[in-house]
Amino acid sequence: MTQEILPPLSASVHVKPAGWRFGLRLWLPLFLLWLLLIPLLVLALPLLFVGSLIFRFNLWRSLRAANGVLAATRGSQVEVDKRDARIFIKLH
Amino acid sequence: MHDNRRQVLDMLAQGKINSDEAERLITALERSDMPMARDTSAVKYLRVLVDANDEQEGPTKVNVRVPMQLLRAGVRLTGVIPDRAREQVNDALRKEGILFDINKLTPDNLEDMIEQLRDLSVDVDNERAKVRVFCE
Repeated sequence: MTQEILPPLSASVHVKPAGWRFGLRLWLPLFLLWLLLIPLLVLALPLLFVGSLIFRFNLWRSLRAANGVLAATRGSQVEVDKRDARIFIKLH
Repeated sequence: MHDNRRQVLDMLAQGKINSDEAERLITALERSDMPMARDTSAVKYLRVLVDANDEQEGPTKVNVRVPMQLLRAGVRLTGVIPDRAREQVNDALRKEGILFDINKLTPDNLEDMIEQLRDLSVDVDNERAKVRVFCE
């Protein structure tokens, strides 16, 4: 069973409010968000390290598991079709 | 399945069946192989389909696809829970009447569970909504 390593790199969002002839089709580059968050994570690492010593958890395993959860969201898809709007979100 | 095929060939060699019967038996064995081959494919997604009809909000359709990897990743996440916290979780579950030990939740057990989910199909059908949960 292969495990995804990378978090979702982009998201497709389609929104079509009722009455609109054409909906909005957005492509969100999530990788830019991750790039922005990496420096914050690096800054938070010392705090996380101290926290791991206090609360006795394996920091490396925790980070890997958290990344695993994030990466596993790739392929998720949500579609809602209501009277007043239609929304579609997919993580790539 | 190879044993069955060999048995057929042995029966043919011993003269218990003729070549036509052997061919029919082998064809039948091959047919019975097909669904098994399909079953070995991994369950990839959990699907939730909701078709609701609310008096105030009108008809609503929801279609959610959740990768099974998320379930696997969630179980791996339980692996980093400190032992003391695990016991607290087990105690809390026990208080709620759920006899479940999260220490026994391992990736191996999960694969077995996911394998069983292949045949899962939950259908809820009432006046207001139809809900269908299944794996694909």
